[in-house]
Amino acid sequence: MDDEPERAKRWEGGYERTWEVLKEDESGSLKATVEDILFQTKRKRVIESHGQVRLGMMRHMFVVVDTSRTMDDHDLKPNRLTSTLKLLEFFVDEYFDQNPISQIGFITTKNKRADKLTELAGNPKKHINALKKTKDTTCLGEPSLYNAMNLAMQTLKHMPGHTSREVLIIMSSLTTCDPANIYELIKTLKELKIRVSVIGLSAEVRVCTFITRETGGTYNVILDESHFRELLMSHVKPPPASCSSECSLIRMGFPQHIISSMTDQDAKPSFSMAHLETTEGGAELSLGGYYCPQCRAKYTELPVECKVCGLTLVSAPHLARSFHHLFPLDAFQENPREEHTGDRFCQACQGELKDQSVFTCPVCRSAFCVECDLFIHDTLHCCPACIHNQGAS
Amino acid sequence: MASEDEVSLLVIVLDVNPIWWGQQTQREPEFNLSKCLDAVMVMANSHLIMTRTNKLAIIASTCQESHFLFPNKLWKGDDVGGDDSAAPCGDGKYELLSVANDQVAEEMRALIARTEVRGNQTDTLLAGGLAKALCYIHRLSKQSGGGQDMKSRILVIKSAQDCALQYMNFMNVIFAAQKQSVLIDACVLDSDSGLLQQACDITGGMYLKIPQRVALTQYLLWVFLPDSEQRSQLVLPPPAHVDYRAACFCHRNLIEIGYVCSVCLSIFCNFSPICTTCETAFKIQLPQLVKAKKKKIKPAT
Repeated sequence: MDDEPERAKRWEGGYERTWEVLKEDESGSLKATVEDILFQTKRKRVIESHGQVRLGMMRHMFVVVDTSRTMDDHDLKPNRLTSTLKLLEFFVDEYFDQNPISQIGFITTKNKRADKLTELAGNPKKHINALKKTKDTTCLGEPSLYNAMNLAMQTLKHMPGHTSREVLIIMSSLTTCDPANIYELIKTLKELKIRVSVIGLSAEVRVCTFITRETGGTYNVILDESHFRELLMSHVKPPPASCSSECSLIRMGFPQHIISSMTDQDAKPSFSMAHLETTEGGAELSLGGYYCPQCRAKYTELPVECKVCGLTLVSAPHLARSFHHLFPLDAFQENPREEHTGDRFCQACQGELKDQSVFTCPVCRSAFCVECDLFIHDTLHCCPACIHNQGAS
Repeated sequence: MASEDEVSLLVIVLDVNPIWWGQQTQREPEFNLSKCLDAVMVMANSHLIMTRTNKLAIIASTCQESHFLFPNKLWKGDDVGGDDSAAPCGDGKYELLSVANDQVAEEMRALIARTEVRGNQTDTLLAGGLAKALCYIHRLSKQSGGGQDMKSRILVIKSAQDCALQYMNFMNVIFAAQKQSVLIDACVLDSDSGLLQQACDITGGMYLKIPQRVALTQYLLWVFLPDSEQRSQLVLPPPAHVDYRAACFCHRNLIEIGYVCSVCLSIFCNFSPICTTCETAFKIQLPQLVKAKKKKIKPAT
């Protein structure tokens, strides 16, 4: 067979004595240990500094949701399907927040078939509505990995070479029913440079391990709901681009937002081009909007691909949202509070430094508390004190 | 009226650029920095007395640093009554207001005294002040916990011009504010600022360029004092038209159609084979060569 890396399974190692983590001090209280555990959970964020690795900024991702019989299980409350769909709605919001010029599509698989739930699109509302409607579907039959990946591949193979093509499979069943040899399909996926990752809800399945190893994705099995959420969030960040992805200059349009009021003589209400395809209600007449610079078609929201001339329309803040991936902030150095000799106050929030450790920025040597450190790295992406030194240079 | 459970936090970021204010005092002696500070304190006091649970912070940004004018580091917070160092105010004013006024005046004097103007730093570091404001808001919202609803907004009073170097930091701050649901309002004294217009548009705040600076108090109390729920019931100045066009990296012109590098997202107005920022060579799409089909000559029958 193929040489698989030998990994010792957890049940082979015997039981760890988990009660030894707790240590009492002389009065018998566990306060120090509890504080330590709380502090460690705050710091549990794993910083993978990719350094100077090229990232795939424009992503086309398909999410395959298994809606087979096993999704009706009650181990995730209220049942696996509802819990998964709720987390996926949150995932869609975070995904478009961190990757504004990317696209996502959804596929469901049950009863040995696969169906496309939504096409690849850059508008989060459509996906969230579709996910909400799926809560009522009945879970029956077996999933089909082959059909799902085949369906995703049909669309992804036409995508331009500079984008990163990804498939994320949420697999709860332990079986799959495939009409043809899945190993052939895996070879084709590898040639097309499609990266497949799997999140398992039940247990580790060997074919999933094989797929993810061959295509360069990740495979994890969840422990509980919060772990599921963490694993989903790890797919929000842009992955390192594969060495063979092409880099090209993409032609994009930056339309102006025209606001006209009823008093304008020339203002005529018109439909947005994006509504031409929707059969359900919600298509509204609007006076102002974004006009494509090439063909003057009107749209109400950005980013969008112009249906008439094919130009991608974005606004400058959309591109600016991705800049923090390209220039990531270095991790701060952690020092115990006793060793810190400077000011007693956090430079960012003016609060007193009360925690065990003090975080210093390696560039400007200012001290921050643990809350500010988390906030700066997760949300702000720039050191408040370094900004002041920039002005000095 | 806001209920007792809602805490409304107002952070005022004041642009104290010594060069601009010096020139302003020469141009228009009726409106100098102390008048501006008076107007800001009137608004701050009004905010504090609207509801008992309202909170306030004031940050001043100069060319080199951003400093908290109120609350200062040694102020313990809510125990206003037990503060022995402050001289008891004899006119029966609400003690929080007198403490606030005194602290702001003192810190401002200390800030101006220690600011040295150097020739190459003439731009205000507004992004730094906003970043500190966001960290402060984050700390207070963590402290108040789940029991109280905290609504925060930032009011920026801008005097000098935009600094183009701070574009990226500014955008990071704006997106962080949007994520934390913090409104950014802007009150502009001199020239229009594209960055602040974008900030107000993205976070949902108010942008206003003041026509007459002497009347700053009126504008602050009319437009910027009501919070976001009350604004829907007022007729406020219409939103400014924001120019979201991107500037190309080679000429700094605003362009409508441009080319974006897929690796580093830099924007160019013309096609070039190499990206100047990340130095990647691009694949050029050549038109497909169509082979001429040989026509089969039909044999004459």
